[in-house]
Amino acid sequence: MATNQWWASESFWRKTAIWVTGGSLIVLILLTVDTLPQIAAGSKRVPAYSTINFRIEYKYDDSRHAQVPVIGMKEPLFGKELSEQDAEALVKLGKLTTQSKNCMNCHTLLGNGAYYAPDLTKSWLDPNWGTKELREDQMVEFIKNPSDKLHNSMGRRMPKLGVTDEEARGVVAFLKWMSSIDTNGFPYNFKPIEQED
Amino acid sequence: MNAVIEPARLADFFTIFFTSAMVILLGALYALLFAYSRIKVMPRLMPLAYASYLGLFVSTLFLAKAANLLHHPLWIAVVVFMLLGYLLAPHGIWHLCVGTHVDEHAETKDVVQKSS
Amino acid sequence: MAATIGKLDSANLNGGQKLAVKYFITAMVLFGAQVLFGLISGLQYLKPDLFYEVLDFNVNRMVHINAMIVWLLYGFLGSVYWILEDEAQHEVVGLKLGNLIFWVLTAAVAVVVLVFLFVQVGPGKESSIWLINEGREYIEAPRWADIGIVVSVLTFFYNVAATFSKGRYTGIGGVLLLDLLALFGIYLAGMFYTTNISIDQYWWWWVIHLWVEATWEVMVACTMAYALMKVLGVRRKIVEIWLYIEVALMFGSGILGIGHHYFWIGTPEYWFTIGGFFSALEPIPLVAMVVHAIFDAGANKIKNSNHPTMAWLIAHAFGNFFGAGVWGFMHTLPQINLYTHGTQWSASHGHFAFFGAYATINIAYFYIAMQQWRGKVWMAGDQIGNGWKWKWSIGLLNLGMVGMVMAMLVSGYVQSQIERAIEGSTWAGYFAAQAHPWFVQGMWWREIFGVMFAVGFVLLVWDLMTVGKHETRSMVEAKSAE
Ligand code: HEM
Ligand code: HEM
Ligand SMILES: [Fe+2]
Repeated sequence: MATNQWWASESFWRKTAIWVTGGSLIVLILLTVDTLPQIAAGSKRVPAYSTINFRIEYKYDDSRHAQVPVIGMKEPLFGKELSEQDAEALVKLGKLTTQSKNCMNCHTLLGNGAYYAPDLTKSWLDPNWGTKELREDQMVEFIKNPSDKLHNSMGRRMPKLGVTDEEARGVVAFLKWMSSIDTNGFPYNFKPIEQED
Repeated sequence: MNAVIEPARLADFFTIFFTSAMVILLGALYALLFAYSRIKVMPRLMPLAYASYLGLFVSTLFLAKAANLLHHPLWIAVVVFMLLGYLLAPHGIWHLCVGTHVDEHAETKDVVQKSS
Repeated sequence: MAATIGKLDSANLNGGQKLAVKYFITAMVLFGAQVLFGLISGLQYLKPDLFYEVLDFNVNRMVHINAMIVWLLYGFLGSVYWILEDEAQHEVVGLKLGNLIFWVLTAAVAVVVLVFLFVQVGPGKESSIWLINEGREYIEAPRWADIGIVVSVLTFFYNVAATFSKGRYTGIGGVLLLDLLALFGIYLAGMFYTTNISIDQYWWWWVIHLWVEATWEVMVACTMAYALMKVLGVRRKIVEIWLYIEVALMFGSGILGIGHHYFWIGTPEYWFTIGGFFSALEPIPLVAMVVHAIFDAGANKIKNSNHPTMAWLIAHAFGNFFGAGVWGFMHTLPQINLYTHGTQWSASHGHFAFFGAYATINIAYFYIAMQQWRGKVWMAGDQIGNGWKWKWSIGLLNLGMVGMVMAMLVSGYVQSQIERAIEGSTWAGYFAAQAHPWFVQGMWWREIFGVMFAVGFVLLVWDLMTVGKHETRSMVEAKSAE
């Protein structure tokens, strides 16, 4: 095998590189086309923003061997039922607030971000908020004024980020909505707050 | 019908971290020993290369067991693919090394002739 | 070009290289900022009251990772300008514009950092995202800066494309050009706002993952190919075939490997197997690279004309293999990623991979640049002082990094068990893990090794400023590479 083999030649690998790259990219694009509608707001996996009008639970599903969000009875956020548009506006305010306050460089959302503070994926369902009745006010109050609320033995406190009342309500709406996303069982073994009446 | 993934058990975490690291490390060791044994024309190293692969094989099986990969046909396919792919990849890499260096210097030609 | 050996003289550099060293120097400054803010963030884990409500963790961490992204990109841009004239056999086309853009881009980076540090946060409006902070990890730069970056990058692309067109297209040149197009094109996927967090993260990973596991890998494969020709004298034909092989393997595994980020963000279950399967392929190109490098070293009688560069290139090959290949694969299967996702595990891998794959090769180029800048000075064996500075700095930087990575691994291991598996990721579970003695010790050791890393960095700066200064011998050129 002293001469150049076709499979070791420059032209073969140039072509292979182009075809493999192009092929992978096309497959990725096709998968993206398939995935995006499945995660559009209002889809089965990512519910509509007006889901904040309902109780959201996180229950073990036998067939999927994982916990999944379950949308339950009507339970409007802050006691006020919102139209789809109003709900979206409120969640949008919350999402924009999380971005402009840079929450993600301490917390994770859906498990992505920083590791200095707890994951927020199911924060709405966290037993830390005490009872279901206290939860909404506790959350708003905490987000606005966290400096004097130490929740751990580490001495780690969330800073005051100048969140207004309206923004804090938006953030809570965003968190409630996010907890309804079907994340294939992440976080695992989560123990939600008691929500039965 | 089984779920697509079966999360690992707490007791298996260490096995998973350890065996998956071993799979990649032994894969590299196998590839290196394989190439080295051929370049330096040291056939005595070849059994070591395959011993590395054997280690890789066993690690993959332990990994497959610990990560519950054998419960679902798709994951079984991934395991089989890893076992075969990691067996053949070093051969491929070696042949490419030689093939792309054919009209190199004399030393390389020696290597090529002795090893083919 | 007959300059005095050992003297820093810009007459030793061609036009593109003069611009390249500006990028390199800025990169080093930002690298310094990265280390400083990394140390502060790490210290806040241990002393949470440090700079509380003055420079909070999120601000420091943001500066830490953004400084990293920008300095690595500056290193890449510099490396491209460095090789451009030689590779294309033609002067850089539009160099004046390239110079102007360097200053514009650098001014923009400075403004962004100042705003990060002194304005920090804004109200929950789109104007905050446009002017202050986008609030999305790694790509926090506000939208105005994004647009500035796109414009700068287009100019850069014009420089490169026009130079290759007027000169000659080599294999390296062709791959480089297409890769740059992809690298910058992908950035656009991160430039819009959406309320839907699942769609937000879907595209966010296009930027992050398709950068570091696809386009950046190919970018450094190009600069590595050039460096191998120059430093080791490997023949162009071989280097270029291997470049194509690497491109095929990297893109073939890396593009769909993005699936390993689509397990838990709302995306459908089929991503489990796609992510698992292609992640299992991703280490193969890294192994191939290591084996081929060793083969080259055995087949060629190595004439290594620049020892620090060679040492950093070796660090690159190993760092890429361990940080990305081994550390990536260890937590990539969804059956285990369910527990390691978003823990110190991710941080351990992130540090190892970014440093091992990208910081290393940039530093290798900084040494190539210094050698040329001082008039092709001797940088092989028995340097003045036996090269103690570069040897100590490479040792301290790598040991510091590996130490940090191991420390975070211990913390991450505890965290995945306690927080993710047993306690189920509630707030209480999170802090139960953070308070665990092993976790806390991991964070201490991370900081201690971080200090070691910082000492290595200081030595690196010192060495880059002085290497070859009193040298009188000139470099032995590697064998002809054509
Ligand atoms: C040089 C190449 C690479 C770099 C620079 C890199 C860097 C990173 C970084 C920084 C993260 C954390 C992202 C975040 O902030 O959330 C990450 C996550 C991840 N990487 Fe890599 N990576 C590389 C290659 C790989 C490879 C080859 C694999 C698999 C074989 C891999 C698997 C993963 C996985 C599974 C995660 C998700 C971790 C989680 O769930 O939190 N990476 N990578
Ligand atoms: C003195 C040295 C360093 C120290 C003390 C340090 C410390 C830190 C800390 C505390 C974080 C935040 C992690 C968290 O959210 O909990 C971080 C994140 C990060 N650092 Fe460093 N760092 C150092 C050097 C580096 C270097 C040299 C690189 C790469 C070249 C790097 C890359 C990263 C990356 C990619 C992240 C984000 C990781 C993720 O989200 O998973 N760091 N670092
Ligand atoms: Fe990735």
